[in-house]
Amino acid sequence: MEFFLSRYRNLIVLSAALLLQVIGLAVQVRRPVAVAADVAGGPAVHVSKDGRGVLLIRLWAASLVTPFERAIHGSGEGLNGLWIDYVDLRHTKDQNKELQQTIDRLRLEQAELREDALQGQRLQAMLKFRESYIYQTEPAQVIGTSGSSQSRLIYLDRGAEDGLKPDMAVITGDGIVGKVRDVFPHTAQVLMINDQTSGAGVVLETTRIRGILRGNAAGQPQVINILADQRIQKGEHVLTAGGDQIFPRGLPVGVVDNVQRDPERGSFINVVIKPAADLQHLDEVLVITSLDAHLSAQQQADLATSEELKGAEAAADAERKKAALEMEERLPGLKDPNAPATAPALGPDGKPVVPVPVAPKPIPALHPDRFSPGGAAEPSPGSGTDGGSANDAPGSPVDAPPKPAAPKAAPAKPGTAPAKSNTAPAKPNTPAPKTPQLGRAQ
Amino acid sequence: METLIPDYRRDLEIRRYPLYIYVLVPLAAVVLQAWLPRLLGRFAYMDLPLLVTVYFALNRRSPIHGTLLGAVLGLAQDGLTQGAVGIHGIANTVCGFLAASVGIRIVVENNLIRMVMNFALTLLSSAIVVFVIRVLLGLAWHSNWLDELLRAAGNGLIGLVLFPALDRTQIRD
Repeated sequence: MEFFLSRYRNLIVLSAALLLQVIGLAVQVRRPVAVAADVAGGPAVHVSKDGRGVLLIRLWAASLVTPFERAIHGSGEGLNGLWIDYVDLRHTKDQNKELQQTIDRLRLEQAELREDALQGQRLQAMLKFRESYIYQTEPAQVIGTSGSSQSRLIYLDRGAEDGLKPDMAVITGDGIVGKVRDVFPHTAQVLMINDQTSGAGVVLETTRIRGILRGNAAGQPQVINILADQRIQKGEHVLTAGGDQIFPRGLPVGVVDNVQRDPERGSFINVVIKPAADLQHLDEVLVITSLDAHLSAQQQADLATSEELKGAEAAADAERKKAALEMEERLPGLKDPNAPATAPALGPDGKPVVPVPVAPKPIPALHPDRFSPGGAAEPSPGSGTDGGSANDAPGSPVDAPPKPAAPKAAPAKPGTAPAKSNTAPAKPNTPAPKTPQLGRAQ
Repeated sequence: METLIPDYRRDLEIRRYPLYIYVLVPLAAVVLQAWLPRLLGRFAYMDLPLLVTVYFALNRRSPIHGTLLGAVLGLAQDGLTQGAVGIHGIANTVCGFLAASVGIRIVVENNLIRMVMNFALTLLSSAIVVFVIRVLLGLAWHSNWLDELLRAAGNGLIGLVLFPALDRTQIRD
């Protein structure tokens, strides 16, 4: 046994190392949520909404590497300045002479550019306002990568203590970059859109074709699982669709670079995208920490003032409507209470004129008989009916139907107005006086 | 006659380094591997942790040493990715073992041999990574072999500079 162990010691160690790692892989495949919280005395674990945690070894690796990356990133600029300012001074004299000539030329151009610069500042301020109005973002700097060609991942210098959480969208001013994956106290991993395991819902701007954005082996983002479509052209803009609950809708993703047929499924195509953001040279990014509208203090104050004014205006309007209703209840008239309100006509004296109710004329019969109004059964004067009274319009045809003379005979009901009455209204429940009396009352 | 015995020759040619070299060099390799792609972008064709594994495995001429160092550095690489932990660990473990096994049998002072070894072992590492991802993990993953070839070539060239520099740090009797 001892001979066996000593002879095959190397192979045994190799086998043990491989076996342990394969078992580790199997555990991750079966149960990908190996959470560092299970380790006694382990560091704080940042668990996302779906319960996904951070592998302890990943936490260790990030904690080991990112401080050095942060230090390199921080000291890089200082060292660069030291080198340029104090060490690398070759050709300085010649450069100084050239620069003097350049200054003279630039002074002439400065006057022209000043106006453009002012306009640019204004536009920039507007854009800044618009951007800050939509989302709450956290600026962050890229301090490192995964270092593996199989993993398109970057590290940010912001972490959980800065409010970052998994599945937050990461963007630049040009377009989307990726989403936050694992979050550590002071750093965070961002899975970029050109990784093969990433996914984002996108839509082609012109054709409105939707698809899933994913990286390919060459590190290019592509929209996969699209049925072959001749309308997709190179240069078409691609935007986020907003259905993945990570990226807000309408953010630029890139433009169509080329269309490739899916090698595994002939009827499908993959649309390779040229990303809008420069994914290879990222320095600063923005992490969208909240999709709610973000208002500055001044904007919030303006909004509150606007709401107050709107509330006061609404209250005054309601008060006016209430007073109008009370007034309408007291007014007698002939108007249908359910009819829509119209502006009352004004008389020559400036007072409102109550319109005279006009009874609709019946349509004349083609073959009049004794039952037809105004036909053979024309009532004789003094027969007890009011037809052909003094209210008939002069010059009306003989066979014209008699106009009703209700205002003359019937008492006015509450809510109706007597004819030609543009005086002060009578009290409710009071019989309306006859028209001549009303005429005298004027 | 004693010089022909492999164990004696191995003991004679084992190179030893200060302890801080064993700590700092692998750590620097992992840090630079994570940081340099920021500067080089998609042209970062290198695998520094694998290079360090191969170097120490070749010069220590101990398969156990190469195996363990490869496992640790590979797991550290996996810790910085979003993938399953163990993918690079398995690849570097195998490469470390093979490099040490080769180092016992042949003299690896020649730069050309070192470059060829780095090139071959980097390609082997890529093949193992693809095998683990596609076969063991069953993931639909596509590889770009042109990039892998360039990475192997990059490792071969970097080894030409890095190995002589590390040779200077060894402890001489």
